[in-house]
Amino acid sequence: MSDQGSGEPMLSVEDLSVVFRTDKERIHALDGVSFDIHEGETVGLVGESGSGKSVTARSILGLVDDPGRIESGSIRFRGEDLTETGWMDARGDIAIVFQDPSGSLNPVYTVGNQIREALRIHQDLTGRAARREAIRLLESVGISDAPGRVDAYPDEFSGGMRQRAVIATALACDPDLLVCDEPTTALDVTIQAQILDLLDDLQREEDLAVLFITHDMGVISEVADRVNVMYAGEVVERAPAGRLFSDPAHPYTRGLLASIPGVHEGGERLLTIDGEVPTPNEAPTGCRFAARCPKAFGACDHTHPDHVALDGDQSAACLLFDEDHSAPVSPGTGLPGPADTDSAARTDGGEE
Amino acid sequence: MKRLRYLGKRFLLAVPVVWLGTSFTWFAVFMGPIDPAAALVSDADPTASDKYQSIRTKLGLDQPPLQQYIDFMTDMAVFDLGRTWVVYSGTNVNTLVLDFLPQTLWLGFWSVLIAVFVGVPLGFYAGTRSNTLADYLTSFSGISWRAMPNFWLAAVVLSLLINSEALFGIEWELLGVRTGAITGNPGLGYMADNPLNLFLQPGNTLAAVKKVAPAALVLGSASMGNEIRIGRTAVMEVKNEQYIDFARAKGVSGGRLVWKHVFRNALVPLVPIITTEAFLLVGGSVLVESVFGISGMGSLFLRAAIEGDIPVLGTLMYVFILMLVGINLFQDVLYTLIDPRIGLEGDA
Amino acid sequence: MTVSRDDPRGVSQTSTGSRLLQNPKPATVWASVAAVLLGLELGAVLEFASSIALDSVRAFNGIQAVPFSVGTGALVGFERWAADLPRLLSRETVPSSGYYSTVSGEWVVGPVYFDGGQWVGTFLGLEPAHAWLVRVAVVYLYTGVGLVWLWVGYRWYRSHYRVADWTPRDDVVDRFRSHYWGLFGFAIVLLFLSTVVFGPTLAPTTNQVNNVDPYSYQIQYWNADAGAVEEVAVGNANSQSTSTGSANVGLWSYDDFGRFHPFGTMPSGQDLFTFIMYGARLSLTIGLVTIGLSTLIATSLAMASAYYRGRVDLGLVLLSDSIMALPGLLVLIMLSVVLGGTWLANVFDGGLLLALIFAGAGWPGLWRAIRGPALQTAEREWVDAARGLGQRPSTIMRKHILPYIAGYLLVYGSMSLGGVIIGIAGLSYLGLGVNPPVPEWGRAIGLGQPYIGTSSWHISIVPGVLITVVVIGFNALGDGIRDAIDPKSDTDAADTGGVDRGGGA
Repeated sequence: MSDQGSGEPMLSVEDLSVVFRTDKERIHALDGVSFDIHEGETVGLVGESGSGKSVTARSILGLVDDPGRIESGSIRFRGEDLTETGWMDARGDIAIVFQDPSGSLNPVYTVGNQIREALRIHQDLTGRAARREAIRLLESVGISDAPGRVDAYPDEFSGGMRQRAVIATALACDPDLLVCDEPTTALDVTIQAQILDLLDDLQREEDLAVLFITHDMGVISEVADRVNVMYAGEVVERAPAGRLFSDPAHPYTRGLLASIPGVHEGGERLLTIDGEVPTPNEAPTGCRFAARCPKAFGACDHTHPDHVALDGDQSAACLLFDEDHSAPVSPGTGLPGPADTDSAARTDGGEE
Repeated sequence: MKRLRYLGKRFLLAVPVVWLGTSFTWFAVFMGPIDPAAALVSDADPTASDKYQSIRTKLGLDQPPLQQYIDFMTDMAVFDLGRTWVVYSGTNVNTLVLDFLPQTLWLGFWSVLIAVFVGVPLGFYAGTRSNTLADYLTSFSGISWRAMPNFWLAAVVLSLLINSEALFGIEWELLGVRTGAITGNPGLGYMADNPLNLFLQPGNTLAAVKKVAPAALVLGSASMGNEIRIGRTAVMEVKNEQYIDFARAKGVSGGRLVWKHVFRNALVPLVPIITTEAFLLVGGSVLVESVFGISGMGSLFLRAAIEGDIPVLGTLMYVFILMLVGINLFQDVLYTLIDPRIGLEGDA
Repeated sequence: MTVSRDDPRGVSQTSTGSRLLQNPKPATVWASVAAVLLGLELGAVLEFASSIALDSVRAFNGIQAVPFSVGTGALVGFERWAADLPRLLSRETVPSSGYYSTVSGEWVVGPVYFDGGQWVGTFLGLEPAHAWLVRVAVVYLYTGVGLVWLWVGYRWYRSHYRVADWTPRDDVVDRFRSHYWGLFGFAIVLLFLSTVVFGPTLAPTTNQVNNVDPYSYQIQYWNADAGAVEEVAVGNANSQSTSTGSANVGLWSYDDFGRFHPFGTMPSGQDLFTFIMYGARLSLTIGLVTIGLSTLIATSLAMASAYYRGRVDLGLVLLSDSIMALPGLLVLIMLSVVLGGTWLANVFDGGLLLALIFAGAGWPGLWRAIRGPALQTAEREWVDAARGLGQRPSTIMRKHILPYIAGYLLVYGSMSLGGVIIGIAGLSYLGLGVNPPVPEWGRAIGLGQPYIGTSSWHISIVPGVLITVVVIGFNALGDGIRDAIDPKSDTDAADTGGVDRGGGA
């Protein structure tokens, strides 16, 4: 783990809102998302599918397309607000690795061709020099026989190799920040570990900052320095990784942790959070998690919670910690018990 | 190597297709309800005349069916296409095909070229500007081209050209290279001695192109509509692919992104319509060649059909089947060139 | 968990029948509207039924393989009787043919013109064009009311009688309703269908009078020279109302005999609109029979493919590949020549032969299009389950596979229909389609071709434009249904590229 990062953050996302318009409704994919990334650190972004993790990644890269639009907020990279200056200058300084390695490479060009393309744009390398560098990059991401592989087409690679090639392409941009959008989800478990190790090595060698997006709490505990937990387009809790796992504050985070196999000792059965992430198609009036929350109380339905700072650089957007509202349950009482889960199911049933 | 094996497999698959198609043709012609020999004799009671008997003997109709079938298939396999009876009476069909084929190939070539070089860019244009007014207009024009009957379009274009002086102020015959009549054969004779004259005598080439241009436009119209439609969809789908986002994130932008990453990939789904187009061209050539008075394979086929020269109908059908299967194989070759994935995932 | 809402429909799990008894009012209203609509056209319905029966009997008698024939006398009598029944939508109720007379007489009913003349014999004494417009308006109004009746019926059924609150089909309907391109196609197809159904009513005259036997019918007209109303045979009148390079009775005009021609006249003086109306009937009938036949073949074979797979499927692939490797239009030409002399060629003026040929050449395309979905459906668990229960293959195919590919059939059927219409027109244009003088759009184009560059351009242009519009309509409808059934599906026009263009005509 690198230092917590002092001074100006490298990337600072503030109050970011992204809206998708369809014929019938506006979907608030992101609603006031804020977080920072400092030089050289790994920041995790976790949440269920549909919570807005990928939209966040795409926003940082400037890849939000019609019908989506960044409605408000800023994305500051090295002091420049990208939503105003555009992404052109930052391209390459911020690189991305997508979830699906088979979709990231253009199937009709060789892997080498696509790495050289990035080298030409960002490092002014062409011809033989570019080819040599492409081979070096492929070797550095652990592809054996790189000179023989550089002229192969993506479809001749296996899934894990493809993801390595994607990472090599991202590295060819000479990035300072690498956004990894579920880079291991589509891979076999053994390959997953290899890719995680590779990313870890690369980060140390190249002194990269990494935004690591996943739904897998187990993975996040291995890689991240600090973690942001997302739910329905909002960051509901942020904390240093150690603290998040030892002392989660938000009921949603607790639910997520409870659903990891083998995290909490003595638990006879694995807990789940019932229901699904709601589609945020209108501005929130209350807490978006209220319907599934085992600790929800009256105010939750009509008061939208703000972030409350807690000890040790931790904060949570939950009324349980808000002093203006009388909290029926004191924070930090541990994990929700079976009784609580049942109550969640009940709430959920009524919703149906 | 894998691609070669793929092509080899496609070639082998073409053999039964040609065989079945030719067998079907033989059955329809020689085993069908019409006695081909009787159709060739225009007498009131054809079966009574001597001519009828001699034709039967020459066609081998007095042989047992199996023998007839084997003879027919062997003749076709060695390209002995027989002779005509009514159409250009008594000519060798091989010679006739050699006489008529160049016009059809010339017409087909230009109609494909017009369709591809107008249809694909228009489709890509519409795809890159999806859901704008320009897109809607382009797409609708594509749909209309597909829906207009060739023979009708041919008739309309022809009469527009005939009245070109009154309508556009300049006579079509005098526009650019001077040509004789609006209809009729393109003058391809100048290439007979030396095919390189195509480039050495540009004046003649231009005249020959101008002569078939209206027919080629009509013949290619439906294909052009297809290409607009499929090109548009292909571009819209490729635009949403993740590798486009990845390329954008890499910093690829503007024309390079569109040309290198979008258009190249969008060409792939356009390849299979080549076969579709070949069918439209071969079918359409019958009508378009008749309207524009071009002596090509299509008009030859139609004459054989109308005049009841049924044996010739059968042999010409065989030539058409060979042409289509050939184009199909050409499409497979093109496929392997454009899409490196072919042959990698087993059967494609 | 039980449903605990205060919804009366949720509580009583009853059948549609008992719901009908509980709340019979909407059904009664709906049925009585049906009775009124039907009553207005009872004569037409009876006439239509008897003419179908008559045609079938005649077709049956045409089959020479059968040694006996069926008498048609009673049917002919019934048809005559039905034809005389009064009805709302008919040339007799709203007549649009008459003559302009300056002689006043006891039969004057309409408004008197400034020169003292008036139209005689037309609806309310209106000018024929206006009287014709009134008839057109009444026809489409009737169609519109019929549509509203159908839609309201569906809505009422959905809200009052259907047991299920929601079915997947509701979503399909809703998606289609917001698909503007599909709705555009639907509107065109609907217009075309209603025009075909009411074609004889819309036409200024009948095909018999106009085209088949014009010299046996007389019309009255005002002879200005003689200053008197005179009679003339339709054939003679036609020969003085031609549209050629020199003479012309164009769009929306009258000929010298006071007859109104919405689309002008043909080279030998027949009314083009009447010709087109009857031609549309023929095209659509042949088209529907073709699609019906090829759907039947394609569906049975697709289900056989999906159920048995392996060799059956491979054999069918080879067979369809071989048929599809034949150049479509050329096969159509060859077969119509080869089969031209047989008794088949005389059934329905050669229409049945055309339908058979088109279906024979067209089913592989349709089969290809639905084979994929059929194979996918056959892999589902419920098919395995049905097999495990020991149901018969035919039952499994019909009950568990067919419903899931029915939608695709509708899509590709709609798209192919346009192609068949073009193909029929192309063959008729070449003189190989239906036997003359049966009206056909392609024949009109062929007849008018020499005059496209003259003032009589309408003869070719009008049917050509109509074919284009109708084909666009069927394609758009197909697009709309496809997107409504399967919103994620790709636009794969190449699939039916060969079929939906009538083989290149």
